[in-house]
Amino acid sequence: MILTVLQISCRRLLHNRVELLLTFLVPIAFFSIFAIIFGGGLGRGTTPRIKVVAVDEIQSVVSSQVMSALAEQESLRFVRDSGADGLKREEAIELVRSGSATMAIILRKEREQLAAELMADASDQVAAQVVSAVVNRSIMLSEAEYQVSQLTDGDQKGNETQLAVGAAGDPDDELFGIEESLQRKVEIIDVMGEGKANPVVSMYASGIAVMFLLFGATGGGGALLEERENQTLDRLLSTQMSMDQLLLGKWFYMSSIGVLQVGVMFVWAQLVFNVDLLGHLDGFLMMTVVTALAASAFGLFLATLCKSRGQLNGLSVILILTMSALGGSMVPRYLMSDELQQYGLWTFNAWALDGYTKVFWRELPVDSLAPQLGVLLISGVVFLLAARVLAVRWETD
Amino acid sequence: MNYARPTPALAIHDLRKSYGDLHALKGVTFGLQRGERLAFLGPNGAGKTTLIRCLAGLTNADHGEIFLAGQPFKSSEARQQIGFVPQEIALYADLTTRQNLEAFGRFHGLRRRALRDRLAWALQWTGLEDRANDLVGAFSGGMQRRVNLACGVMHEPRILLLDEPTVGVDPQSRQRIFTMLDELSATGTSILLTTHHLDEAEERSDRIVILDQGMVVADGSIDELVEQSVGTQRLVRLRIDRPLSAPIRAGVAEDAASFGTTGADEISTRIDDVSNHLPSLIELVRRRGYGIADVQVEAPSLHHVFLHLTGYELRD
Repeated sequence: MILTVLQISCRRLLHNRVELLLTFLVPIAFFSIFAIIFGGGLGRGTTPRIKVVAVDEIQSVVSSQVMSALAEQESLRFVRDSGADGLKREEAIELVRSGSATMAIILRKEREQLAAELMADASDQVAAQVVSAVVNRSIMLSEAEYQVSQLTDGDQKGNETQLAVGAAGDPDDELFGIEESLQRKVEIIDVMGEGKANPVVSMYASGIAVMFLLFGATGGGGALLEERENQTLDRLLSTQMSMDQLLLGKWFYMSSIGVLQVGVMFVWAQLVFNVDLLGHLDGFLMMTVVTALAASAFGLFLATLCKSRGQLNGLSVILILTMSALGGSMVPRYLMSDELQQYGLWTFNAWALDGYTKVFWRELPVDSLAPQLGVLLISGVVFLLAARVLAVRWETD
Repeated sequence: MNYARPTPALAIHDLRKSYGDLHALKGVTFGLQRGERLAFLGPNGAGKTTLIRCLAGLTNADHGEIFLAGQPFKSSEARQQIGFVPQEIALYADLTTRQNLEAFGRFHGLRRRALRDRLAWALQWTGLEDRANDLVGAFSGGMQRRVNLACGVMHEPRILLLDEPTVGVDPQSRQRIFTMLDELSATGTSILLTTHHLDEAEERSDRIVILDQGMVVADGSIDELVEQSVGTQRLVRLRIDRPLSAPIRAGVAEDAASFGTTGADEISTRIDDVSNHLPSLIELVRRRGYGIADVQVEAPSLHHVFLHLTGYELRD
């Protein structure tokens, strides 16, 4: 009996080629996607570069050397040339707050010594550590180079005396001096997160919300295929209702459910995790409504593309998890290479997450959401039209 | 006086439809009168479902014309005049009877009082008034079939298309469904149904159209079809008390009729007039010394007509 069950299960799998393909294709697809994201396979040589701006408030020889050294760092990408346009501290901080830059490096004088303030966006927890190390190293190297040049310029005797005194000192005191020097030289200041919930919470709330909007939408699309399979669609189309009305009705329903679903989740996030929903209600509603409309249209498109619910399930799992991985619902996009970050812009998730980040983290005015709302709305309309075109075959076959 | 036939509720002329190389309909022509019950028969793949889909506006024919009450078929108007009941239980199983009826009533354009009136009628018509608020998914197959049927007539169509409305239901439910259809027919609704239950078609329809390989091969009442195909002779079977030692001859002449075969314990023959010829046959057999154990007289049925016209070859 057990052998027979095993046999018929294997035979059924072999007869269902799509299911057979998906059984082996899905794990390979996901392994490849995550290998690309974390292993740098596709983005080799284009490791994530941190977007920075720098302000030199000292304008000394050493600070200029530091600026030059930073500009040559491969891990940094200067979004604006501070030397060319005379960037000010406030402008730099604003660039961080608006999301144009991840960090602003401000070179200033402290106790007659060169120091740096790193104006950071705490949502990127990796960038602060990387930039801090890079700036520290650049300052120390530049100072050392400057001192060497001073020595060669003539005041050799006095410096030799200083070095000699330093060499004869207590090693523990010396180490303490280096640590103190490092702490003094580079200070990280969070310009975004004061008084806010953990940025990771709002980011993941958005990420999970978008992913489930997509899953919910394909589930709703599956209902359309179910109606087709049990001839309810034929019956509906034999009434006064047109395919246009049917698709629009389903689109509005799926979008409404999506808005409610995300709304309930963010209420929970406010109650339990202190995400400030009520304070950002306008931006939240705009993003959620448009994202839900786009996701629902995508679900209908997939449903009209597929011939059966089995096909839809397989295809939607692959697409949604891939989009979620690339678009930042699973891991932050700033961890990905520049190339993958660009690929991510082809997903709903990336645009929606950028929008939610503007709302909850950067607290930008709602008009700043125009690019995200525009892209999501246009893609929603395009998918809906594509679904309508594909559904023509159900009307006349 | 004008003896012209009334304009048929539905007239189909030279309807053709192909799917690639497959010619599903090869020029189908027939009509359906007001209040007529027409059974549409045919082997699997004969083109019945394609024709129903064309009439329901779900498929466009490649060629031919359809007239509704003498007017050319327009999909938008046809939807108001035609009711369609698919073979599957095309209902929302997770809605109640009332909610399903209300939904399909709305889809057919009913609103407010008209909808309320038809809803009350449909619940009474299906005999499901006491189950109005129960989920359809929990119903028996027969009850689901009744709701399935009611959803297709909420808008009081002039023509009702049914694709195998009694498949998979018990005899009691089948009887109930045909009683419901008879009620509709009595109010002037023309009914066109496809079925594989030949006894149903024979007993519960006014006219029968047989379709085979995309063409109409017979059209008429059961008596007309019998006369046109297998003839009206009755098949008589006499079971005798022992095997025949030789065929029984009706006379001494060389051309006298003979009955039965040597070694068989049954004599079969076809006779025109049962009341006159059967006693003579029984008497002849007895005179030859055989006892009669049993007598069977079988009238030609739709079953014989169907197999005669469409053959015995499997079609799927």
